[in-house]
Amino acid sequence: MKPNLRGSLALFAATLLSATAPASAALKVVATTSEYGALAAEIGGDRVTVTTIAKPTEDPHFVDARPSQIVAMNRADILIEGGAELEIGWLPPLLDGARNAKILAGAPGRVVASAGVQLLDIPLAADRSQGDTHVAGNPHFMLDPVNSRIVVEHIARVFEAHDPAGAATFDSNVASFEVRLDAKLKEWSAALAPFAGRQIVTYHPTWRYFSRRFGLEANTFLEPKPGIPPSPPHLARVMEKMRAENIRVLLVEPYQPRKTAEAVAAHNNALVVDVCQFPGAIPGTSTYLELIDIVVRRVAQALAAQS
Amino acid sequence: MDLFTLWLWPLVALIALPAILVYFGLHVVGRGIIFVDLALAQIAALGIATAVLLGAHPDHGVLPYALAIGFTLAGAALFSLTRFRHPRVPQEAIIGIIYIVAAAAATLVLSRTAAGDEEIKNLLVGNILLVSRSEVLRTLALYLAVGALHYFLRRKFHLLSFDTEEAERQGMSIRLWDFLFYATFGLVVTSFVRIAGVYLVFSYLIVPAVCGALLSSRTAARLAIGWGVALTAGVTGLLLSTQWQSMDLPTGPTIVCLFGGFLILSGATAFGRSRRASKSAS
Repeated sequence: MKPNLRGSLALFAATLLSATAPASAALKVVATTSEYGALAAEIGGDRVTVTTIAKPTEDPHFVDARPSQIVAMNRADILIEGGAELEIGWLPPLLDGARNAKILAGAPGRVVASAGVQLLDIPLAADRSQGDTHVAGNPHFMLDPVNSRIVVEHIARVFEAHDPAGAATFDSNVASFEVRLDAKLKEWSAALAPFAGRQIVTYHPTWRYFSRRFGLEANTFLEPKPGIPPSPPHLARVMEKMRAENIRVLLVEPYQPRKTAEAVAAHNNALVVDVCQFPGAIPGTSTYLELIDIVVRRVAQALAAQS
Repeated sequence: MDLFTLWLWPLVALIALPAILVYFGLHVVGRGIIFVDLALAQIAALGIATAVLLGAHPDHGVLPYALAIGFTLAGAALFSLTRFRHPRVPQEAIIGIIYIVAAAAATLVLSRTAAGDEEIKNLLVGNILLVSRSEVLRTLALYLAVGALHYFLRRKFHLLSFDTEEAERQGMSIRLWDFLFYATFGLVVTSFVRIAGVYLVFSYLIVPAVCGALLSSRTAARLAIGWGVALTAGVTGLLLSTQWQSMDLPTGPTIVCLFGGFLILSGATAFGRSRRASKSAS
């Protein structure tokens, strides 16, 4: 009886496995933040299922683990992260918990989006005296839409390596994305061209790539050092500078203290503009291009109103 | 079943580690010093912040660890010195003051350093889902040592917390014993906060002890009830949050809410019992 029982159990297990096989045919992709999730879905289409770890309204520097995130990472074929130390505070322990060799650093399933991107703000001396400065450079490079081209091509290459049969689909999705990106880039540059050289204040050095791409200057921050909450003397200096140089637009993200921004803005009748670096935080921004679109429109409107 | 692969070490942590917290909880509730755990954890944070100011990286090296322990011991000394026989000032007030001053001092110290506030918080406040094997084993070894000490000296510690006059009559040095109590308590609390966070440490200390106090007047029974409540709430919470995937509940808060449910259940049982007792008496 015994071998028989074992045999039927094995058969049962095999049936179960084969029953689940078609469902697992789609590549399981995990993205740390939603811009990579949105791009992965756009490039992968039906051939991938995408899970995003951080909520778009959550500070990407600090993410608290939930069970589903560890399960998703345990089963993932591919993990897309921003890199440049953005997720350094929470991704390593999640990876430890997930025990998945396919997505460890250096594995073929690991996409580090910052690879191949020219980063700004790389500190000359790699010490910690400059605050939570990322030694690798400023990790908010996806806010220069031109960098998204490098990232989608990187994602498509990794998808193709995992799913060669989908290569044609991925390539045509990349091509379609790039056509739309180029059209939008012209639109965005035109919308912000009238404000070339204008300064804006931001809470954190999030918008350095964005401003450089569109000819704005975002070099004044409410944080005295990246990651350090504003101190009164620093805020006083910022308000002084805003008055002296007539800076009247201040960008704030969902997880940054809006009250502080409003108090600073009030001193110079500046406008506080709600923006976000992640698709999904602002209604109507489910894709990456929609997100940049809304941010460009909001910044252009605010600059126009303050002219 | 991913319970024994993905969630093995959280499960082991929730089964093995809280026992000693329940024991300390009986003392803490008996003494009426409910917030002393948070104050000690905050003092340890001040120690780590100071290490960062001195140039250490908060994540590795001996200095942060040594200063966290050193500050915890200093805090234990402070608490043992501020227990007065005829208190004009309740000790809970002093605990509150120590907590808030330690928290503010840590902010001041960190404002002089480059590390963000959040970085220290991340280090101090763990997430039970991410606990590693070595963390669980190291902490378990510490708890076994502290547990053995308290087991052999259980009569002394019991007198110290519940019958101070008798302890004095027996010639015990209250301040010295109090220091030993707070020092071991501080080590236990600080290491558990690192694994599981502030909410869980507070729940494990207070709720099982209160449930025990509601349902029995004997110390041994209270301890047994407390252990039962702690084990059930912890394991059920982990199962609910990991196996009920459509809900995707964060583990720590799920366990804390289960504790709240257990407290209501204990309260209702105690209430029903006392009504029956008064009815049969009349």
